[in-house]
This record gives sequence, C-alpha cells and structure tokens, in this order.
Amino acid sequence: MREVPGRNRRLESAISILLLLVLVIIGLGVFAKQFDVDMGRFGINATDTGLPSQQIQPERQDQSVLETLMPEGFKTLSEAESYNSDNLYEKINGKAPLYIDSGFVKLFTRRFISTEDESLWMEIFVYDMAAVRNAFAVYSQQKRADVVMCGILDPQYAYKTGNALYFIRDQYYIELIGSAETEKLFNSMLEIAKDMKGRLAVDKVTEISELSLFPPDNIVAGSSKLYLKNAFGFEGFTEIFTCRFKISDEPITAFLSECSDPRDAQTTAESYYNFLIDNDAQAKTTANQILKEVGAKVLDFYGTTEIIFSAGKYVGGIHEAEDRKAAEDLAARFLERLSEGAKAIEQ
Amino acid sequence: MTGQNDKKYERRQFLGRVGKAGISIAAAGLISYKLYDRQGPNTGADAESLVTLPDFSIPEKPGQAMSIVKGAERKTTVNKAIELLGGIERFVKPGETVAIKPNVAFASSPMLGATANPELVAEVVRLCYKAGARQVIVTDNPINDPASCFTLSGIGRAAGQAGAKVILPKDSLFRYTTLEGGMLIRNWPVFFGPFEKADKLIGISPIKDHARAGASMSIKNWYGLLGGRRNVFHQDINTIIAELSMMVRPTLVILDGTEVMVTNGPTGGSVSDLRRANTLIASCDMIAADACGCGLLDLKVSDLPYLSIAEKAGAGTTDYESLKPILATAG
Repeated sequence: MREVPGRNRRLESAISILLLLVLVIIGLGVFAKQFDVDMGRFGINATDTGLPSQQIQPERQDQSVLETLMPEGFKTLSEAESYNSDNLYEKINGKAPLYIDSGFVKLFTRRFISTEDESLWMEIFVYDMAAVRNAFAVYSQQKRADVVMCGILDPQYAYKTGNALYFIRDQYYIELIGSAETEKLFNSMLEIAKDMKGRLAVDKVTEISELSLFPPDNIVAGSSKLYLKNAFGFEGFTEIFTCRFKISDEPITAFLSECSDPRDAQTTAESYYNFLIDNDAQAKTTANQILKEVGAKVLDFYGTTEIIFSAGKYVGGIHEAEDRKAAEDLAARFLERLSEGAKAIEQ
Repeated sequence: MTGQNDKKYERRQFLGRVGKAGISIAAAGLISYKLYDRQGPNTGADAESLVTLPDFSIPEKPGQAMSIVKGAERKTTVNKAIELLGGIERFVKPGETVAIKPNVAFASSPMLGATANPELVAEVVRLCYKAGARQVIVTDNPINDPASCFTLSGIGRAAGQAGAKVILPKDSLFRYTTLEGGMLIRNWPVFFGPFEKADKLIGISPIKDHARAGASMSIKNWYGLLGGRRNVFHQDINTIIAELSMMVRPTLVILDGTEVMVTNGPTGGSVSDLRRANTLIASCDMIAADACGCGLLDLKVSDLPYLSIAEKAGAGTTDYESLKPILATAG
C-alpha cells in the first residue's frame, strides 16, 4: 500500500485508540448504571415484596458501646440494632432526612426493661453524626421548649424532659427515651449517660466557638441552634447559628455564620439582603451609629425587623424581631462582641 | 497514469473503509437491539395478578358524615362521636368481618402519642362486636419491627383482650397493586391479605406533626399498607399521600386529637412533644377529617398540599364545614 502524502499514521492511530477508549468508558458506564435502578421510578423486584425490616438486616451491633450498658435493676428488652443512611427510615421514618442531611453515619439502639415492673422500659439511641457540629445541629433543631438543662456531661448540650434525656458527646447525639415519667427510670437513664461518658471514643465535648460570639446578656440559656443549610428559607445560608434573646419580655433571634473570608461574608450578607428584598421586604434607615458605620442593612419584613451585617469573615444579624429598637440595640451589641471575639481568636 | 491509479486506489480504500465502518455500526446496533430491555427492571407482577383493595365506603347520609367531640376520655368521646353519626350499627352489620387499621408505626410507649391509643383501639373493637361483627381484625405494617410495635405500643394486648384477631405482616400477605391514574403506586406491593375478605375498614390514627409531610393523620395512616422500600416515596410525599386517599376507601376514620404531637413528629419521643387538645373526630370523609385535624396542629389546609390534591382527585372535601359536622362534648 502506498503512503498517501501528508498522512500521519501515528497521529491517526493515537486518535483511534483515544476514541476507542472513550467508547469503552461509555460502555462501562452504561453497564454500571444498569445496576443503579431508580426504585421510585421502577418499583422493586418481585423478590423484595416483603417487609422493610426484612429487606435490609441491621448489621451486627456495636459491641463496644451498647452491649455492656446495663442499668441496675434492668435487663435487655431487645438486642442492639444498628442502622445506616440506607435503612434509617425503618427506625425513625420521616425524621430520617433531618439526620441524613446533617452528616449522619450510623445509629445504634437498644432497649432495657425493669426487672420489677414491665411497664418501665427505655430505649437508647446513639447517633454517630461524624462531627460535633452535625450532632449539635440535630440536637438543637429538635430541642424541646421549656426543658430543664441537665449537667450530667455538659450543661450547655444536655437537657431532660419528663420521660427522656438528650445530650451530645462530641460527634454523638444521644437520646434516652423512657416509657413513663418516673424517678426510677430517669435515675437509670442518668446512670447510663454517666456510664457512656467513659465508653465513647471521646473524653470531652468539643467546643463550638461560634456560640461564644453571641452577646451574653439577655440570652436565653440553651436556645442556640445550628442550621447546616437553607436557614430562614435562604439557600445561601449554610452553617447558621441562632440564639434567642429576651429583651423586655420580647423574644429576639440573632444569627451568625462564619464565612471563608471577609469578601465571602460581604457577598453572603448582600445575597441575603437581595433575597429579602425579592420577597417584598422594605429597606429602612437606621439612626444607630454602630450599625451605620458597618453598613448594616435594616429591613421591614411583614411587620418584623431583619438586620444583616458582615464583620470580618462573619455574617450576622437579627431575624424577625417584633421590636425594631431592641433589635438594633442587640445588633449593635452583637457587632461589638464580634469585634472583641475576633480579636480574641486572632490572639 | 500514476495519479489516476492513486485516485482509484484511494476510492477503493475509501469504499472498503466505509463498508467496514457500516458493518461495525450495524453490528453494534444489532447487539444493542438484542440487549435492550423494553420492560425496564422487573417490577414484580403481571397485570393479571394485580389486586385492588375493595371499596369499604358506605352510602352517604346527609348531615351525618362527620362528628367532632370534645372530651378527655377517649372511650367516652369515641362512643359519642360514632353515636352522632348514626351509631355503630350504621357502619357494621351482623356477621361482617371488620378490619381496623390503627397507626402502629413505631415501637413506642403509648404515652408518647406516636401510635394510636390502645384503649381507643380496644373500644372500637368492642363496639364492632356489639354491632354483631363476626370477626374484628386489627392489623398494620409498621415501620419498626412489627412484633415490637404491637407489644410496646400496647395495641396488641389491648386489641387481643377486646377479642380482636391481631395480624402481623408477613410476606404472603402482600400482593401487587396499581392505582388507576396513579403516578407512584404502580405495580407496588401492598399489605392486602387482612383486607381481602373484610367487609368494613376503620382507620384509627393520632394527630401528629410530621417532619416530611407536615402532618400525619387519617390519610397518612394508610402508608402502613405499602410494602417494599416505601421510603422512596418520601421524595414525593404529597403525591403518595394523595394517592393513598385514592387507593383506600374506608368505612370510617377516627382521628384522635385527645393529645396531639405538635413537635418532632412523627416519632416524637418526649411527653414535651404533646399538647392536650381533647378532641376526637369521626368521619366518613377522611379528607374532611384531616382538614379539620390540621387546625389542631396550628396548620392550614394550604400547608398540607396533599389535601388539595386528594380533593381534586375526588377523594373527599377539604371544606369540612360543608359537611355540617356534628359538634358535641362528652365526659
């Protein structure tokens, strides 16, 4: 065969091989995708018609944490179970997305029953949330109103209700839920909680530094919350901490988030301002000198006050306050506190 | 001449290559054609073996479609609510088999309100027998382990003591169904066995906050009839609840708002999640019952999109006041 002038066989071969490789990769992709069926679209296989709990067997229990827990006067009511993000719904149904969206890794559960009174039983839920912030997010978002803070492990991150005990321990969010409101049951829960202190692979609660940046006066103890995303319905807000304050009997919510740098904080503040304006908020002027100096935005949002500012790498503000004067005063105090806090962190 | 030969050779070469490429494409197409699965993944059942839940509804009786009774004692309020609708004899005839589907979703203490109240379930069982029922079945396909759910909720024992046959779900009781006009319930396993030969169906559910759906009441209670990996429907929760209202036509629903789970639903976990509302609703129209019940959660009908979808599908009315509910206080 005669060589055609100007023809580059090596280049042609290279291109051919490249194209063949692309085709092989596409083929492999198609082959792999066929095993990833959208169940919502196609239903399930005939062999999977049984009960949800029979389809995904919980894996073997975490021996190290739960199996040796046994409060005095109680025995095991049910063996330990574990759940992952695929089958968490089998345990907590509609609440599963809250955990899964917050970094959930695993849930371990076990029930104990009184040896004397079978109406007294409790269940322990140990959620491994991978990070203390994630654990705090699910803890704070579910925190019941008007509860008693409980100082077993850390008074800031533990509370009790009539029949239950809730706390976080580093990346673990733990619930102890009793079948009745009795002292015996509650004391046994406390026993377990104290016992767990030494069993989990942590020895202290990691501090969440942002919480110390809120002004301490008038703060409602234990009211802090963390929203990992979409706080206040705004997609641009991630990792937003909120705290409630009570000023002259009026509740006011302040919020704070740490951004990557001051420019990012400014952009986020502006985006939230635009989001509110797009949703019919009205911009207002302020006489507060501190707010003016930092260029804080004050808005009227359906009769409530929103304040947004950026300070260094933080974006913060006030959310849906009834009293504008009190909101502006709190925002000014907040800015001062942020300035002090930022300096302290830098040092 | 040489130039012409070159051209001929190139033309021949070109035609040969085109031919090979054509054969390659045809072969690839043929293989793809042979491998193409027109049906998609196996969806379970042939069209002939699909089942449809019977229609358990009874003829309407103007002015007696819904009752709302205030009171703290469930036994008293449920008796009054049913009496106001014409008495249990209107709903259950002698010799009939009645299926009762309480919400037994979780292995949770009855005190926490995550499941139907056991005393309420037992009282409805007793009423059915009083009307002459041949058999009363109490059943559900819970989210947690069924035996634990029926035991720890107290429903298994209470229903059993009242004479009901408690049926726990097992594979053989599931059959495939397709909802006519449904988008999600298509060739899907449904808990069918206990209802196949029943004459009447009564739903009993608490009023609960629900993190995904907004609220869990009468219609959401039928979620328990779905088998398989039903959590996939959570991605389209309003559509699936609305489809449940089309799939199930109960005789009567009893919506228990004596204590309402106002936060952290559907599991709750703390008595702090409950608020006493001392209200019990009995209704032949479950959309109306839920439209009324959502008020006890401080919600509006518009907060629960599935109610409007169900109404448009003809499952009932969200304007419950148009049914002229009978109001009373008992106890």
